Amino acid sequence: MLQFRMYCMFTRKAFLRSAVYRFDVWSRLGSNLIFLLMWGSIWTALYAGREEAGGVSFESMLTYIVISQFLSGINGAGTPLWEIQEKVRTGDIALELMRPFNVPLRYLFADFGSVAFYIITALLPLYIVLFIFMDLMVPTSWLTWVYFIAAAFIGFLIRYCIEMAFGLLSFFLVETGGIVDIFYFAMSLLSGSVIPLWFFPDWLEKIAVYLPFQGIYYIPNAIFIGEISSGEILFSIGIQLFWVIVCFFLLRFVWNRASHKVIVQGG
Amino acid sequence: MPILKYVDLYFKLVSAGIRAQFQYRFAFFMRIIGLITAYSGTAITMWVMLYRFQELGSWSFFEMLFLFAIAILSWGFCIILFFHFRSLDTYIINGTFDRFLVRPINPFFHFMAMKFDVASFGQFIFSILIFIWVSIELNIGWTIGKTLFLLASIIGGILIQGGMLVIISALAFWTTKSEQFYWVAMYPARNLTNYPLVIYPKIVQWFTAFVVPFGFVNYFPAAVILEKETPFFPAYIGYFSPLVGLVFFMIAYWIWMLGLSRYKSTGS
Repeated sequence: MLQFRMYCMFTRKAFLRSAVYRFDVWSRLGSNLIFLLMWGSIWTALYAGREEAGGVSFESMLTYIVISQFLSGINGAGTPLWEIQEKVRTGDIALELMRPFNVPLRYLFADFGSVAFYIITALLPLYIVLFIFMDLMVPTSWLTWVYFIAAAFIGFLIRYCIEMAFGLLSFFLVETGGIVDIFYFAMSLLSGSVIPLWFFPDWLEKIAVYLPFQGIYYIPNAIFIGEISSGEILFSIGIQLFWVIVCFFLLRFVWNRASHKVIVQGG
Repeated sequence: MPILKYVDLYFKLVSAGIRAQFQYRFAFFMRIIGLITAYSGTAITMWVMLYRFQELGSWSFFEMLFLFAIAILSWGFCIILFFHFRSLDTYIINGTFDRFLVRPINPFFHFMAMKFDVASFGQFIFSILIFIWVSIELNIGWTIGKTLFLLASIIGGILIQGGMLVIISALAFWTTKSEQFYWVAMYPARNLTNYPLVIYPKIVQWFTAFVVPFGFVNYFPAAVILEKETPFFPAYIGYFSPLVGLVFFMIAYWIWMLGLSRYKSTGS
């Protein structure tokens, strides 16, 4: 219990710190809007006046992309990866190892704080306005909302575990260049963040379905627009839960190896 | 100082920079591989997008690749010459900017020659391979005129994007912030131009033609070479790319010098 309260302190501190750097919040929102404009225009042009494509209405598709940008705002609001890699490079991470907390968990709780600030002050107001003024789909059943929020949260955890595990690779490799780029590309494509899985070539869709990335964007988005029918929702969330456990153990494994390495090298 | 001496000096500074970068050969190759994979990633995303839909705003996959390759090539040169401008703010905050003022060389030139990022080889390799592939697929008959026009537009594109980096860096003279402006304004705006501008609302297209002229970097020239229609704009607008680049860069330089004079007067 005491442990939990300590981690909540990190959340509180990060929340208050975000309030100080308000300019960062506004500028990040501006960039989020430009990407929303880009993907919104791309999908409008792809549909080119058609009412539906592949059984999915234009309205649903536009909603998909808006929700996707909303989620990518949330997923991008935490500690940037390079900050952790920088700490590894300068050796500052050794200081954190001496303290009585679990470093990945500490960053996760801090991220909750900065993300909460970003959602409350920037993302929610903007996206509520968008939903009022644009022709978008809104789930009518409250249960769908509950499922969506749960799926979005689990998706956040999956993304966090995978990204943190990758960030920690800098403990083992001096230069992570190409590997990190392949990873980010795979994550942005296979998570369905910009193209929903149902528009993929069949072979690629099969690959995507068996990977954890779809849990980050595709599943919550598809639940929101009702493309995953109510019978399959629990199954999809089950898949997400499976992956979050796998990714959590992956992160723990990488972290254990990494912290041992720091002890051996003496920081 | 006469211009020839500047050229000579530039190459001396640059070759010192290159030798320094080759010290870390492994890091250097990893960066090139990283850049090529990142750009291929965008290209693959375009391919997946067009797999079911065939075309985007009447642009086919190969036409979009061509558009993308022009953007990457001019951006590659731009990185070599101007990319470090975005972090002018750190020089000002750390006080290391003053050393550019105490020497008898134009500070703009001195700052520009300070870094020369050879790792943008990745951009050249990627875009040249794409140019070859697309030329075969689309049967672009490369006449001397077309080739010269492409080269001139690439120079125009370098000047437009370089000018934008210079303007963003100049903001640091007023606000002591510049790097962030790059990531929140120029980075997403540059992403917009990876796709044919015809898909965006009219106001956005107008903005990219006359305010921040990114449209001249790749979209308008590509439309001329591929003979694509550009609604709202005359068909020959692409030919203005080099001129727009020149004018825009001169404005950027003027803003930078204005900021610099202000920086001196604050005396920090």
